[in-house]
Amino acid sequence: MPDSEWHGLLAAAAAEVLETMFFASVYGPPQAGADRAGPRMAARVGFAGTPNGVLTLSISTPAMRALAANFLASDDGDPLPVSQLEGVICELANMICGALLSQVKAAELFRLTSPELLPDDAPCPPFQPHISLALGEDAGDGTIDLWLDLEPHAH
Amino acid sequence: MAFRVLIVDDSPVMRALIRRVIVLSGLEGAAFLEASDGREALDVLRAQSVDVVLTDINMPSMDGEQLVRCLHADAALKSVPIIVVSTDGTESRMRQMLSLGARGYVKKPFMPETLRQELERVLGGAYAG
Repeated sequence: MPDSEWHGLLAAAAAEVLETMFFASVYGPPQAGADRAGPRMAARVGFAGTPNGVLTLSISTPAMRALAANFLASDDGDPLPVSQLEGVICELANMICGALLSQVKAAELFRLTSPELLPDDAPCPPFQPHISLALGEDAGDGTIDLWLDLEPHAH
Repeated sequence: MAFRVLIVDDSPVMRALIRRVIVLSGLEGAAFLEASDGREALDVLRAQSVDVVLTDINMPSMDGEQLVRCLHADAALKSVPIIVVSTDGTESRMRQMLSLGARGYVKKPFMPETLRQELERVLGGAYAG
């Protein structure tokens, strides 16, 4: 499958997860020059199968807070503890990866690794994300960036 | 009617989400037990009565696939219905888990109504709120 097709499936998977379980509006690619300043959080999840690969996501921290509050239906106004934010971003990565692979017609089962939070000093892949999506006001008007690293020769 | 649900997932936030979805879905009388992997789930099941198990697949120590196999091989526990709740929505995985003995399968992401309907189907209409 060509990379462009993978990236199309990835965008669709991310939108499905964000809209269904995080009640976020997804507006497609952000406008050129969209502000990415400020703190961000990142997580990744690996998968084994045909092909093997790694999905990495990065999202602005305020947007992640808004998504986590939607996900956990937290309405008490207090900020969610960091441990819950970290758990939710890992689950977000897990669900996007699962939704992506569910669209792939593979002869064998995929195995996902446990999602892991990337510490601040562990950078995301050093190139432009494959997919960027602008989120609505219900997710802090943030952006989410996604990288899909597939093993060479496997796709 | 009261029923006891065992939620098996290594993610605490996912367990919290499933709990909340069930409570908000109108299914009345649910009591919740939790386990973070299949091994813990077996300990709970051997100690307490459970009406339905909701399990993830991808977990450390003992995954959902092993849990379903263990329950199906255990004469005392094989009648406890299991619903798989997983990000893996491939046809091959769903077929595999159902053939191993799972009674239902809910693919993440899911609408709250989907989980409720699957619980009602597996537990029977008497549990509907």
